Amino acid sequence: MGTFDYILMGIQAVFQGPALFSILGVSISVTLVMIFGGFLTGIAVGATPGLAGPVAMAIALPILISVFGYTPDALLPVMGFLIGIMKGATIGGAVPAILFNTPGTPDAFMTTLDGYPMTKRGKAKKALRVAHFASASGDTFSDIVLIICAPFLALMVEAYLDLPEKTALLILSLSFIATVIGGSAAKGLISTGLGLLAAYIGTGEDFYPRLSMGQPALSQGFPIATAVLGVLIIGAVLKELEDLWRRKRDSGTLPEHRDKGDQRLRGADVRRLLPYIGRSALIGTAIGALPGIGSTLAATLGYTVGKSRYARKKRPDAPEFGQGAAEGIAATEAANSSVSGANLIPVLSLGIPGNAAAVFLILAAESIGGFNPGPSVFRFTTDSVNPELVVAFGLFTAMMIANLLNWTVGGLFMRSMGVMIRIPKHVLLPSVLLLTLTAIYVQETRIEAIWFALGFGVLGYLMRAVAISPLPFVIAFILGGKLEENARQAFAATGGDPWFLFTNPGAAILMAMALAVIILTSRKQKDPA
Amino acid sequence: MANLPRSNLVLGLLTLAFAVLLLFVWIPMDTQTGLMEKVRRQVVIGDALAPTVAALFLILGGGLLAVVERNAENQPRMSLRGLGFTAILMTIVFVGLLVMRHAGPLSVWIVNAVQGGELEYRLLRDTAPWKYIGFFLGGTFLISGVISLVEGRVTGRTVLVAILAVVVMIFIYDVPFDDLLLPPNGDV
Repeated sequence: MGTFDYILMGIQAVFQGPALFSILGVSISVTLVMIFGGFLTGIAVGATPGLAGPVAMAIALPILISVFGYTPDALLPVMGFLIGIMKGATIGGAVPAILFNTPGTPDAFMTTLDGYPMTKRGKAKKALRVAHFASASGDTFSDIVLIICAPFLALMVEAYLDLPEKTALLILSLSFIATVIGGSAAKGLISTGLGLLAAYIGTGEDFYPRLSMGQPALSQGFPIATAVLGVLIIGAVLKELEDLWRRKRDSGTLPEHRDKGDQRLRGADVRRLLPYIGRSALIGTAIGALPGIGSTLAATLGYTVGKSRYARKKRPDAPEFGQGAAEGIAATEAANSSVSGANLIPVLSLGIPGNAAAVFLILAAESIGGFNPGPSVFRFTTDSVNPELVVAFGLFTAMMIANLLNWTVGGLFMRSMGVMIRIPKHVLLPSVLLLTLTAIYVQETRIEAIWFALGFGVLGYLMRAVAISPLPFVIAFILGGKLEENARQAFAATGGDPWFLFTNPGAAILMAMALAVIILTSRKQKDPA
Repeated sequence: MANLPRSNLVLGLLTLAFAVLLLFVWIPMDTQTGLMEKVRRQVVIGDALAPTVAALFLILGGGLLAVVERNAENQPRMSLRGLGFTAILMTIVFVGLLVMRHAGPLSVWIVNAVQGGELEYRLLRDTAPWKYIGFFLGGTFLISGVISLVEGRVTGRTVLVAILAVVVMIFIYDVPFDDLLLPPNGDV
């Protein structure tokens, strides 16, 4: 088995998997249909303010697992659907931002700055075409970087990092995620601490499940779906409902703007936009490769860099950035879309999720089994087939297919999604709440799971109310077990050395980096007063 | 913490207090093995170490918040009215779930009382229409209650929207599948 054989098997696994139907005698595999379905769903939820990719992933996951079962054959259709949602939601978020000045997803906020002024000038369709072109370009670039980098990074990790270094790397990742998400290092560390604590309740190696207070309900620990969906989805729904109640929802009448003049994206437009797209794609990919830094920061940076270039290069009669410049849309959309592919680099090469979408991919992999994202996936065994590597190349294929769909039908579908803004949020959110609780119940089939999820939901709400980002909590909850397991193994392998994180040079460097990240970010955030 | 510009300080101190409680009360009293244990002449990591690391993260975060970030700009202001709204919302959710849990068995009890039969909900929990009663009534109450709370009024349209949403959910999670159980049918 060579590298090329693995790539070929990955592609075959997508195209030649179980067939759902055939067109003109050509079998269409179920994975292809799922990628397509996920992609369209993603555009629709991205275009609906109040919904986002993770909500659709949370609701879809138990249904997908029920349909496809807990076998390795289920991995590609299920994860293909989730990847489709991830990519679709990225371009869908620009639709309400451009048409109604309301970002469908948080990272589309900067798109409103130039998108909505273009709509007011009668150039809505052109603005949507610019957003789609930039988004698809950034996304494709990011995926190519992922496909090239992830295997090499994984191989390096496997070759050079031993158990103490891997433990230190996890601590560095957690410290990094804690301090860079949400703008407050202290609050990120609290979020991480709470996530670790939740992961350690009802677990451990002793006969007595630790920290369970003798309660049978806690003795098996918290199911991962209750913590992830509770903090991420239910917490967000509760906070959003409170905000809506405060604002008492506006009248619901939406402004209408008629399109005027040429709406097509011409060759000259593309040549003018490409430098902005290229810069933003690089920025988004670099940011996406670091776990925890989200697409919103990438969009802001891409926009800022684009703005400074535009100030030097713009024609005198062209609108300023923020007043309807197509380059502003391109810079933002290319940056936020190029985060999604690169975000999977730490997931696939290290097993460390960097954003909410990656969390759901790990959740799917853990629920189904047979695929453990991390460096061991990229073992190019020659004497026998490594099925995890075949799945990894299958996932890369699924991403490229989703990109192809994005380039072909994505724009058309995206431009028809303006209607989604008419769904009132205060009607949608309670339904999302019940859908999420139902999704958790059908997976766990016990009422305690619903109570746990609601408890985590209240925690997520309170965290948002005091401006603590819930993402470090979720990532720490997922990595908590892995951190403890690695530490136990490293401790045993070093002959019971309690200082193994500091006596091993590689681990000591990573620990010093973790400390430096915390100190530097805290100093930056210190109030000058 | 309401309306205090020093919410970071309060939150930091509360976190520190919780971490101290965790470190010196909860972990020692509710964990059977210590930080390190000797098992068959080998020293291994005990169950108390990992939660201790979690507590250290909390101490670090709480300490930084109370000392370094206590005068940071843009500190959140929690409003008691907002908390009150969420408390009412959670009460509606709780009542909705109670209705969901008990409506099915209660309807079987009523049918038995009226018709004199000996039906058992447990045996009917995967049979229509019994299996839908709790989810339908509880779900409709939950959705229409929350919408009405946000709107500040109860309308027939709200109830119709809730009924439609619950029916759609039944078609998503139950009708196509034999192996999925809607709440509360796995527990009764």
